[in-house]
Amino acid sequence: MLRYIARRLLIAIPTILLVSVLVFALQKLLPGDPVLTMAGEERDPEVLAFLREKYRLDDPLIVQYFAWFGQVLQGNLGISLRTDIPVLKLILTKLPVTIELAIFAMIVALAIGIPAGIISAVKKGTSIDYVANVTALSGLSIPNFWLGILLIMLVSVRWQLLPASGFVPPAEDLWMNIKTMLMPAIVLGTGLAASLMRHTRSAMLGVLRSDYIRTARAKGLLAPAVILKHALRNALMPIITLSTLLFGELLAGAVLTEQIFTIPGFGKLVVDAVFNRDYAVVQGVVLCTAVGFIFMNLLADILYVLVNPRLRHAR
Amino acid sequence: MTNESALRPSGANVTVAPAASQPLLRVENLSVRFDGAPPGINVVDDVSFTLAKGKTLCIVGESGCGKSVTALALMGLLPTPPARIVQGAAYVGDQNLFSLSERERADFRGNRTAMIFQEPMTSLNPAFTIGDQIAEGILRHKNVSKAQAWERALEMLRRVRIPAPEKRLRAYPHELSGGMRQRVMIAMALANEPQILIADEPTTALDVTIQAQILSLVRRLQEESGMSMILITHDLGVVAEVADEVAVMYAGRIVESGSVDAIFEDPQHPYTIGLMGSVPSLGRRQGRLATIRGSVPPAELMPKGCRFSPRCPFAESRCASEPPPLTEITPAHSARCWYAPLEQHRGAAA
Ligand SMILES: Nc1ncnc2c1ncn2[C@@H]1O[C@H](COP(=O)(O)OP(=O)(O)OP(=O)(O)O)[C@@H](O)[C@H]1O
Ligand SMILES: [Mg+2]
Repeated sequence: MLRYIARRLLIAIPTILLVSVLVFALQKLLPGDPVLTMAGEERDPEVLAFLREKYRLDDPLIVQYFAWFGQVLQGNLGISLRTDIPVLKLILTKLPVTIELAIFAMIVALAIGIPAGIISAVKKGTSIDYVANVTALSGLSIPNFWLGILLIMLVSVRWQLLPASGFVPPAEDLWMNIKTMLMPAIVLGTGLAASLMRHTRSAMLGVLRSDYIRTARAKGLLAPAVILKHALRNALMPIITLSTLLFGELLAGAVLTEQIFTIPGFGKLVVDAVFNRDYAVVQGVVLCTAVGFIFMNLLADILYVLVNPRLRHAR
Repeated sequence: MTNESALRPSGANVTVAPAASQPLLRVENLSVRFDGAPPGINVVDDVSFTLAKGKTLCIVGESGCGKSVTALALMGLLPTPPARIVQGAAYVGDQNLFSLSERERADFRGNRTAMIFQEPMTSLNPAFTIGDQIAEGILRHKNVSKAQAWERALEMLRRVRIPAPEKRLRAYPHELSGGMRQRVMIAMALANEPQILIADEPTTALDVTIQAQILSLVRRLQEESGMSMILITHDLGVVAEVADEVAVMYAGRIVESGSVDAIFEDPQHPYTIGLMGSVPSLGRRQGRLATIRGSVPPAELMPKGCRFSPRCPFAESRCASEPPPLTEITPAHSARCWYAPLEQHRGAAA
């Protein structure tokens, strides 16, 4: 098992290198000269030259890349051109907010998606199954921003139950923090709940047809034990992997949701940075996201092996 | 020793007076239909037989003739839908299994009746240990502690002769060979000492060398416990060896049934005779039944009369249109053929 993890970590290294090259290249290909943006209206040639020198913009690309990557490895992602705050520090203050949102959204998705998937598989072909599928389909097709605006209008404006926007750190006021996170988590989690439901349903349907389910019933086990022990345990194996991968997507999906509810997270950081041509921040964020994705993939693979006795022993 | 009248099949047109000693299991006119089949075509059609205490009934017949469906119907394990029991009864004592509630049937399963399956490789849950899977069946039906159930599971692994049973208890199914898995399935089925064991081709999926071992294991366990067994098989060699009674199935119907001696010494139905002719005596590969000319017609083309008539060398016009009754040849032997008993029709058959 440890050898398997070590091997997977080794495979991750070239992927990360490739990502770093892409991130670097992408920013070089972006239109617009960052120096002009920074210098503002004045365009004083001396200032421009100074800035070019400071950010080594005249060196050959390969030199620029290694200089940049060397710094990255030391944890230096550069300094925000706009705010003069180190990019790493910016990321580290914004990331926990987004991770909290993603975790809440994941809880919402799992709590709805998995039970709904089980029920609609067990009740296949009945009206319950039909309703669950239609609901899931609408959950998948309703855009996040629309659901967000709808919720704000109803829950915040009309019923005045939850705040429409703003963010309170959990350390400051935990209850208020949960209240501000609830609607964004629901908005972000519903699409995911729908796709988890459909995956759980089809995994359960496959498992329920298998010979070992017949064996479980032949033992005289009653429906709850057959479904919740024998079937679910096997159906969940692929779902666990899927959830891990979806968690990565949640982080990306948070961008829009954070805009709607003005939550000062990672998503808002990216959007602001892009609009301000704050390249160092964009670069840092993209790199962080990519590395995060790679690790979520790694985690998904490892979890899959861990929950599957057949693989656990083979590795 | 055997009570002759108790063993007599109770076919549609044979009225049987209640026997002095009741059989353990009495199946009457069982018919199973699958949704989407042509109207009137049942996968299992009007099947009746009895099983006496401590005896073995072998059900033989070609692949697809409805042996497994019959067994699953008795266990209450048919997938419904698409399957449906359209008529029939199965009495254990004076309880009709088919009129029990789902909960009462579950109380029977794995307890008073148990089944081992054709597919040992896929019949165990890959996510749980062997011990867990055996113990849970014991915990379901017996009022014992978890430790006692595991103790019993270990004892069962010993009884089915699994080497290093303590270790196997904690093993997962994928760590075991097909033969070992089938032993585990047997241990699981017998853990609650059922009165009736249904063994659906328990050796078909296994190596020839392992087949004999598993079969003799099942027989030894049957002798030890005195349970009754329905053994489904393709293998006439096995039938000759273990059966007390034989039921020959063709396309969903029992075409001939009787004591093992009667079937082997005086087969009456042309299909049975064909099977006998097709059992190679030495060096048989798997002992499969194969060499009757033609094949089973698809459901839409199934004749109204005798379902074997399209392949029967003796068929005449009435065979295809009128279903032959189950005719009693001796009290322990009957056949579903217009020519039975053969002695009386020798001229016509020649
Ligand atoms: N789920 C199902 N849906 C539709 N038809 C089915 C289903 N299961 C079985 N059948 C049909 O029922 C018939 C009898 O099948 P069964 O499994 O009882 O055969 P069998 O005698 O056990 O054959 P084998 O020796 O290959 O195990 C087959 O012709 C098959 O087509
Ligand atoms: Mg079968």
